[in-house]
Amino acid sequence: MNSRERVLKLFKKEAIDRVPCFSGMGNITETGINELGYKFAGIHLDAKQMAATAATTYKLFGFECGVVPVDLCVEAEAMGCVINVYPHAEGILYPTIKEKLIHNEAEMDTIRIPDGFSEKGRIPMMREAIKLLKADIGNDVAVGSYVLGPFTLAGQIMELNDLLKLSFKKADKVAKLLDLCADAIILTAKEFEKAGVDYITVREMGATSDVLSPRVFKNLIMPPLQKVIKSISCHSVLHICGKTNDIVTFMMEAGPTAISVEQKNDVAESRKKLGSDALIFGNVDAYNVLVSGSEDLVRSTVRKCIDDGVSAVWPGCDIWPTIPPQNMKAMMDEITRYGGKK
Amino acid sequence: MADDARKKEILEKLRNGVIQYDEDACREGANAAVAEGLDANEAIFDGLVSGMEEVGRLFEAQEYFVPEILMCADALYAGLDILKPHCKQMDLGVKGSVVIGTVEGDVHDIGKNLVKMMFDVAGFHVYDLGRDVPLDKFVDEQLKTDSELVCLSAMMTTSMVGMPKVIEKIKAKNPDCMIMIGGAPTSKDLADKWGADGYAEDASNALKEAIKMVAFLKKLRDEKAAKQ
Repeated sequence: MNSRERVLKLFKKEAIDRVPCFSGMGNITETGINELGYKFAGIHLDAKQMAATAATTYKLFGFECGVVPVDLCVEAEAMGCVINVYPHAEGILYPTIKEKLIHNEAEMDTIRIPDGFSEKGRIPMMREAIKLLKADIGNDVAVGSYVLGPFTLAGQIMELNDLLKLSFKKADKVAKLLDLCADAIILTAKEFEKAGVDYITVREMGATSDVLSPRVFKNLIMPPLQKVIKSISCHSVLHICGKTNDIVTFMMEAGPTAISVEQKNDVAESRKKLGSDALIFGNVDAYNVLVSGSEDLVRSTVRKCIDDGVSAVWPGCDIWPTIPPQNMKAMMDEITRYGGKK
Repeated sequence: MADDARKKEILEKLRNGVIQYDEDACREGANAAVAEGLDANEAIFDGLVSGMEEVGRLFEAQEYFVPEILMCADALYAGLDILKPHCKQMDLGVKGSVVIGTVEGDVHDIGKNLVKMMFDVAGFHVYDLGRDVPLDKFVDEQLKTDSELVCLSAMMTTSMVGMPKVIEKIKAKNPDCMIMIGGAPTSKDLADKWGADGYAEDASNALKEAIKMVAFLKKLRDEKAAKQ
């Protein structure tokens, strides 16, 4: 059973030989970037570089997927935001939004999705990168991509501060904006599917239960999120950061094939709540374990994830590129050693 | 000068105005405090800050979430803007200036703004560098202003890793400067490892830490007043 078969069978809840180790979020490494002689800032703007870099985590370490893009600004840019890729930065800085689209409450009513959205910003480039990545390693691993959740996207195109307050004071207005964001995200996901991805992760990072009450989550965040997930016809994964134990049931109800949680989620608890059949991906700490932890910590974390009942060992966030190669190797070695025991 | 009952009423109005995120009530309370000759520092600490302490408690009890806190903060500022010009300089033996900002690569500033609010309340001089701040700017600003405190904030793991560089540079030039780091991905371990003096992992913790610090200042003030 190769990695591709293993991951696709997992999504279909068919029998597999061991727990896979993969991600639906960014997972490129500095080791991979250096091997190719690229610069971090450059790979966001060039389909070839993006795809080639994304393939290295599989090629160098056997990580069981290929994922593009690397940053979180694709949808906002296509909506009309200007992004900053920090071309002159020495180290690794992820692109951010330079200029918001909505500057005041009134503009929430006038914002529209640009005509020809699927040709805006880097969406054409993303189609190209997905195709290149599939051609390169698509027979060996599942190829994935990700989109933002409506609330997270809304937090990029307007001030998060205002969005949060209005989600309390003027929920109707925010609901309307989130629905528009959902439509933009659906258009984006469609393009990724056309290019041939096997699975799409929906990253609703801004709507963590550390920030919003479960009630607001259910009333305001869920409907547009559900709309996005429903529209995805390939496998889908819903990721939310933070302490998600109170909302894992809602996350499942949103209808994804699987849910993804980070280290603040108690997976043993979530497993109990959701039952043995649910697909729960997680919850390796992508920085404190993978980057600054020892090889032993990486190995024991992989074992703990499996013992707690994850369906796939999967970093709880983008893997930070400076991950030491020996930690990447330790993670993959431990999964082959321990992943079939349960 | 208002009598005790009236004073209590005004302080209560300020406190409840913050808790119930009622900007108008805070404005009315603050105007009344000024018009009726209440001590502005007292109105701030025993009215507004006392309300914010309760907000912190409600947040911890998961009755309030971030949207509520942001609205409470707006209410606090509505009162503070009126009271501040009437504040006497607090003589606490600290000079009280702070450089604060969100590190380059991060455009999130809610936690940073809440901490800033508490410094504003405490009468610190705040040099707010904003968000997405190049690392060297923190170092330069600290040197330029000779601030005894620098607060670095990051919401994303992906931007947090710039922090140790700033800490190292500031400590190299000015070992006495205190550095507080904050934001979702930070931890006590990282703060220790990077040589930071304090940390707060999220907006509520940042708020709590800042409240604690301000409460400490208030205690000093009360002790000083008791001695006089």
